[in-house]
Amino acid sequence: MYQSIRNSMEQSAVGFIPGKRGDNMFLGLDVGGTFTDGVVVADGKVVSMVKTPTTKENLLQCILTVVDKMVEDTGSKAFERIALSTTIVTNAIVEGNIDQVGLCIMPGPGMNLKDILPVAPYILSGYIDHRGREMAQPNKEEVLSACRHFSSCDVFVVSGKFAVRNPCFESAVTDWIQEQASPMHISAGGKVSGSLNFLRRTNSAYYNGAVWRHFNAFATAVEEALKMRGIYSPVFVLKADGGTLPLSVARNYPVEAIFTGPAASTIGIMGMNGDAAVSGISLDIGGTTTDIALWQKGRPVLAKEGAAVAGHRTGVQGFRLKSVGIGGDSLVFWENHVLKVGPMRHGPAMAAGGPKPTVTDAMVAAGFIDFGDRALAVKAMMLLALQGQSPEAMASQVIDKAVDGICQAIADLLDEQAAEPLYHVEEIVCETKFVLENIIGVGGGAAGLVPLVAKKLGISYTLPENGKVANAFGAAVARPTIAITLRADTAEGHYTVPELGIKNRLPRGNFSLQNTYELAEKHLAELAQRNSISVGETQIVQSEEFNMVRGFTTVGKIMTCRLQVKPGVLQYGEEELC
Amino acid sequence: MLNAQKLGLVFFPAFDWAISPTHPEREERLLYTRDQIVEEGLLDMPAIREYKPKIANLQDLERVHVGVPDITSLITNAHLVSAGGAIAAADAVMKKEVQRAFALVRPPGHHAMRIVHGTRGFCTINMEAIMVEYLRRTYGINKVAIVDTDVHHGDGTQDIFYHDPDTLFISFHQDGRTLYPGTGFTNEMGSPNALGTTVNIPLPPGTTDRGLHEVLDHLIMPILGDFKPDIIINSAGQDNHYSDPLANMAITAQGYARLADTLKADIAVLEGGYSIEDALPYINVGIVLAMAGMDYSKVIEPNIADCPSQTSSVTHYIKDVIKERQDMWGRKEKLQREAIMKHGEFWQTERSIYYDDVGINEQQKERVRLCPHCSGYVTIETKARSSLHYKTAYIGMIPQKACPVCLKAAYDVVHAAKKQGNYQHYMVQNKQKDRLERL
Repeated sequence: MYQSIRNSMEQSAVGFIPGKRGDNMFLGLDVGGTFTDGVVVADGKVVSMVKTPTTKENLLQCILTVVDKMVEDTGSKAFERIALSTTIVTNAIVEGNIDQVGLCIMPGPGMNLKDILPVAPYILSGYIDHRGREMAQPNKEEVLSACRHFSSCDVFVVSGKFAVRNPCFESAVTDWIQEQASPMHISAGGKVSGSLNFLRRTNSAYYNGAVWRHFNAFATAVEEALKMRGIYSPVFVLKADGGTLPLSVARNYPVEAIFTGPAASTIGIMGMNGDAAVSGISLDIGGTTTDIALWQKGRPVLAKEGAAVAGHRTGVQGFRLKSVGIGGDSLVFWENHVLKVGPMRHGPAMAAGGPKPTVTDAMVAAGFIDFGDRALAVKAMMLLALQGQSPEAMASQVIDKAVDGICQAIADLLDEQAAEPLYHVEEIVCETKFVLENIIGVGGGAAGLVPLVAKKLGISYTLPENGKVANAFGAAVARPTIAITLRADTAEGHYTVPELGIKNRLPRGNFSLQNTYELAEKHLAELAQRNSISVGETQIVQSEEFNMVRGFTTVGKIMTCRLQVKPGVLQYGEEELC
Repeated sequence: MLNAQKLGLVFFPAFDWAISPTHPEREERLLYTRDQIVEEGLLDMPAIREYKPKIANLQDLERVHVGVPDITSLITNAHLVSAGGAIAAADAVMKKEVQRAFALVRPPGHHAMRIVHGTRGFCTINMEAIMVEYLRRTYGINKVAIVDTDVHHGDGTQDIFYHDPDTLFISFHQDGRTLYPGTGFTNEMGSPNALGTTVNIPLPPGTTDRGLHEVLDHLIMPILGDFKPDIIINSAGQDNHYSDPLANMAITAQGYARLADTLKADIAVLEGGYSIEDALPYINVGIVLAMAGMDYSKVIEPNIADCPSQTSSVTHYIKDVIKERQDMWGRKEKLQREAIMKHGEFWQTERSIYYDDVGINEQQKERVRLCPHCSGYVTIETKARSSLHYKTAYIGMIPQKACPVCLKAAYDVVHAAKKQGNYQHYMVQNKQKDRLERL
């Protein structure tokens, strides 16, 4: 059932990854909706590619099929690591395969969240204000009563407003629940996401808890199955922001594994594109959809808003992406005398034996690509053509329509980026418009459509070799990342790191933004070590400094710094994998 | 408005702008509001859509203000973005993308008058006025009501629309005898051609939610009902709060949210409010929820116990103010006829205006023609003195709906003044042509 391509080292160079030579082999797996792709990358080159249908009812099966084939291909079991991009969490949520969660919140004063969260919460008293001050203590009796209320739940979630400014109440309530109910797992909002946004944190923590058991069962099955085959490589899971987490860490933060598909392809493109620091867009043109990502100076742009699950925004960070329902297998049809392309798919192209005309048929009939049976593709166009219209004219009309649809989605994405609110005068006055320089195209439909889209936009394009397996390639080479948020309030004399549940006193004396960075570096290094990740290069994602004035004197500073291990492409030799 | 979201929010905290490092109007002012809004998750609500401010242009400013020697040398980029924030809010409403909008922007503007020599009461240009004239020019809106809910009298807005019968300006504020800018008494009702369209409601220190809502329900709402504006603007100052350091009123976040709920302004624009840590986060969240049609009942300040209750003398005083103002509103046509009879062809006034920011003393002589066919052209003679400057100008102003006689007369008087040569600058603000001319 699977096809395998053994490539020679020379022929498949896909972007240069500097570093030591040797047989470091990174295995990447993309478990997609229809197919599971796998690649093994050694010295920056794809040495094995495998594609197999995804076994939806038992994901382990297709994963092992791919891994087994790759062991056979490469003749080795000594992979440096195995990284998975999987839809398991997304699917579990979509299919409702989630656990009942005892959701306990400390909302304090503000918006009424009662009917806004995914499930009805138990509301506890006690709250922290925006400065991290403890305004009202939580009540233990209430927590015990919440435990009784949720007596059938094995998983609890605790989330408090402004817990990222002071995690003490979340910790205290977590301890009380542990004592009283000893559930299998408790997710705390501040630890799942360190950023402001109580609503998103609570949603994140809720879904984290709700898929916890399911994900852990999967993780255990993967680890055991690999062990049974004598493969002892560490397993990593891809995140939506293109970083990877060791499976052992992901067990506590499974929600991080949602929406990893587009992230995988984006990181894959980064790996294939090498160091080209161009700005533009990437198009991952698949069978049913085209995923568009925005690039600035060779790096994908992160989205400000968190990923949404079943209509609920979470604190999970991802890339700024747009998905449009136009792909190679998109159905082409007439509706009230208007030609339509997608978003539905009725099987493969007629050129490949499918039932109805598709975009791919138009590409084949117009001679842009060589695929399947050209005569069938021409027939598909004849089925669509109006009286007196040649199949070639019909094909070009279909292609125009598909290209227009993709260009419209690109324009929408650029509009969204341009509408992003800015909070400084300087940013608004000196704002530079995003300039498209290049398109990078990957995915099955890229070869035919990307040149046409580029022509219409009047810019250049690149089609990386092996672009068809960009997702699996991305999983293989994505660097492990981790982030923390450190906020120092010198007037209050303390700092917090919510991801670590820390609230500590600041050292005496002057404390500057530079000191904040240094302190953040230290805590990030600790967290990385605990998670068996090498720190390497870090980057400041966000930094802010405000003077606090009381009356007419400055009484202190509030400084915030979000620091992360730079996401990107794994450099050989830099990783000390566990 | 099938798909229109409830509330458009333009949030522009100007995190890199301050009047001076320790001034109440500084970088930090909306920091805690930002924290609270983001932490609540308000921007994720389907009823709320966030907009980015635009940058207002010179023409938008000069449609309202005459800067001496010019407006650009008196402002910073922050002013253009703040005014642009109000304009972005107005556009969102007019294009029916949202039902209402709130421009949560700084710097504020309601103390900025027509003639600008510098900054007074933290304001250099008037965001609401710029937005109102933009609405008129762009969308042909005619009757506008501005309700100023800042604790300070909106003297700048009053000045700009004092001769305009199509703009109803209602301001409630802490009594001018006890607070900056010391104006806003009940006898300031508009010049004769626009008599009654300026409504001042001075309130005693210590007024609580109860007094405020009494004024709102029995005075402001009925007047709005009578005037029937095409659009309602709220100059949303938040310094009536019991914790505000610059004033002495006793309004809570709930009081403000209920005010927004009752008023149902089409567009609100932030003005003052300097209890930046204890009040603004809660008031702003309350107003945003109310304007978005969401439940605001759970927005309560942690230190609510500090809010004083209303004394009976305050209650009595407020009842009297309401009664007096109701009565004046009822008699405004009669008062207007009497005023026109009394003044003949011209109404004029002389006053001095103090710019607290740089210590400028301005002497103004204002004259408006009581024209039977239009709201009349206006002339302003201004002389401003500070330790550093002496600036003078003679300015003619032509309303958008000016009659031909007033149009010509305005140019004639400015030309005549120029011949005499007593001033440094001569300008005509021609609203019909939408331009400021230097003669």
